[in-house]
Amino acid sequence: MTLSLIILYVLTLIYLAIAERFRSHTTILTAQGLLLFGIALVRMHEFHPVEMGFITIETLVFKAIAIPAILLHVIRKTKINRIHTSSSQFGSLVMSIIALVASCTITYYMADDRTDMIFFGVALYALLSGLILIVSRRRIFAHLVGFLIIENGVFLFSMAIGVELPMLINLAIMLDILISILILGMFLRRVDDDIHTDESDALTSIKD
Amino acid sequence: MLIFLILTTLLALSPLVLRSMRATNVVAGIFFATNVAAIALLLVFGRIDSVMLQIFRADTLAVLFHALMTLVLGFALLHSSSYLKAEDVSTTSYKTYYTLLMLLAVAITCVYYSDNVAMTWVFLEATTICSAGIIYHREFSQSLEATWKYIFVCSTGIAMAYLGILLLSTVAQHGELDYASLREVIELGNPLYLKVAFLLIVVGYSCKMEIFPLYTVGVDANYAAPAPASAFISTALVNAGFLAIMRIYTLFSAAGEVFAWARHVLILIGILSLAVGAMFLRRTNNYKRFLSYSTVENMGIVAIGMGIGGVALWAAVFHVVCHTFVKSSMFFQVGIIRHIYDSYRINRIGNYLNINRTGALCFYIGTLVLLAFPPSPLFISEVMIFSEVVSMGSWWLLAVMLILMCVVIYSIWLRALRLNYHSNQDKLHLSEVNRRLSYSAAVLLVVAIVLGLWQPDFLSEAIDKIVNIG
Repeated sequence: MTLSLIILYVLTLIYLAIAERFRSHTTILTAQGLLLFGIALVRMHEFHPVEMGFITIETLVFKAIAIPAILLHVIRKTKINRIHTSSSQFGSLVMSIIALVASCTITYYMADDRTDMIFFGVALYALLSGLILIVSRRRIFAHLVGFLIIENGVFLFSMAIGVELPMLINLAIMLDILISILILGMFLRRVDDDIHTDESDALTSIKD
Repeated sequence: MLIFLILTTLLALSPLVLRSMRATNVVAGIFFATNVAAIALLLVFGRIDSVMLQIFRADTLAVLFHALMTLVLGFALLHSSSYLKAEDVSTTSYKTYYTLLMLLAVAITCVYYSDNVAMTWVFLEATTICSAGIIYHREFSQSLEATWKYIFVCSTGIAMAYLGILLLSTVAQHGELDYASLREVIELGNPLYLKVAFLLIVVGYSCKMEIFPLYTVGVDANYAAPAPASAFISTALVNAGFLAIMRIYTLFSAAGEVFAWARHVLILIGILSLAVGAMFLRRTNNYKRFLSYSTVENMGIVAIGMGIGGVALWAAVFHVVCHTFVKSSMFFQVGIIRHIYDSYRINRIGNYLNINRTGALCFYIGTLVLLAFPPSPLFISEVMIFSEVVSMGSWWLLAVMLILMCVVIYSIWLRALRLNYHSNQDKLHLSEVNRRLSYSAAVLLVVAIVLGLWQPDFLSEAIDKIVNIG
């Protein structure tokens, strides 16, 4: 079951490389939120109501519902639709596959016996996919999506190394990330309103 | 601690429900007094090293930096009032600015006292959120650009740091992430994981300490924020970044061979920061960016000191303490310059000596202190770092540092001369000079010079305690 969910997660990352519409990006984020919820549930050793509630809020409510809703709101307000990219769809796919191969190689050499190799590799792939999205896309909305893909990768990474942080810390981390997304979304709209652009190339007026 | 946090947070939020600027000033005064009282209580009742709420510890490092932050905050609140009134901002904007500045102070205080590696991360992320509003305060297109970059790069960088914390936590037992518990077991960790963890954490926190590689967002933030807030960001917030890295450094000092590797990483980061500072101090055409690159250069020296260790580590902590006084004073002076010329552009403004003799003198002295000319306290710390480099036999490091610092001295001194003696390039509408602000900013400079001539025992003992990581 876990393996099926992980394979689906990898597919969302491959689809991310070729998706050209921002609505597709939000759909991918929703799917990833749902998959992370499923993975976290399957990996729960025994039923704890508090832990269960926390996982539901973090993955299902925040990652699958709230954050995509915020992004859709931004898309509607700014009327942005398609990504602007410096590479072709095929080029993006090749970059994504290279990232996948690199992740597998790094995982092979790095993971020790306490680490879940599959989770580790996929988490690394998610991090690289997020970074590629930030570097290769020109629109700042895509950068925001890249940041969220990285955050999902970090969540997966915490499961790979089996770290269980105290609930208070988990809650603080979750709130921090949510507020960051809200503020980023708010400023993205401001950039669109004030500078009349959502291209990162336009954000280069501060220089020496 | 809980009472202090609740009280300061409520005080920070209260301007939002107040009606006037005067009431906001009163609240800001109470906020400052609360911080002073908290430090006094810790010292008077001997609560140093006490654990509070399981995630905070009032150790010497935290109390020392809290005291420094409070001092700079007092001046920042005072100068902000004059700055904002001169800008003729609305009451709402005035109240929002003060709220955000005080919330930033609360978040920074939490970073200082945090005794848990994950909570340090949480509060550093909180500082990003509070800083964003201050950076955007002036609401022009470049401040929007700086704000976007600041939030985005800091959030991404700090996400990387979180990855490092997760790798670090593989050594934790029963999810205990306090520094003391981690230090006991860190030697058992996978060396490769620990190395990657250190690298990710330092790179992530570099956006706060304003060192290579993520220093750019700090420079942009200081450029866009109002000058008194820049003084606070480039000292108190930079110190928070330093303190977070210092705690990780202390933790890794028990990690055997990994620690030696980590020190090399810090030396490399330090050299690159120094090089970036030297290069951009030559190129920049804005006095605030100029001071920000000076921060990058100084923090580079601090990173080198940490990397070398021994006496140089003591010097690094002392350098950060003294830099806080000098840099905040210089930013306040630059705020006064902007008030007079309505510009920060280096190639446009000049003749400052004739326009504001007091301010010009303070700027001159500040520049000399910043350049580590005796009796600057930075002279002491830099000589200590150099002597440790020599005793290590790292002549190449000494040569690189000296060459880069010569470039820094030339660039900074050239700018100081230009401001005072170069004529204005066009007709500027000069504003009235407020000498009281120049005098008040000079107080911080005087403190720095006194530290250069005489280091009080309590400070030396505090730094001894901080660096005694055995």
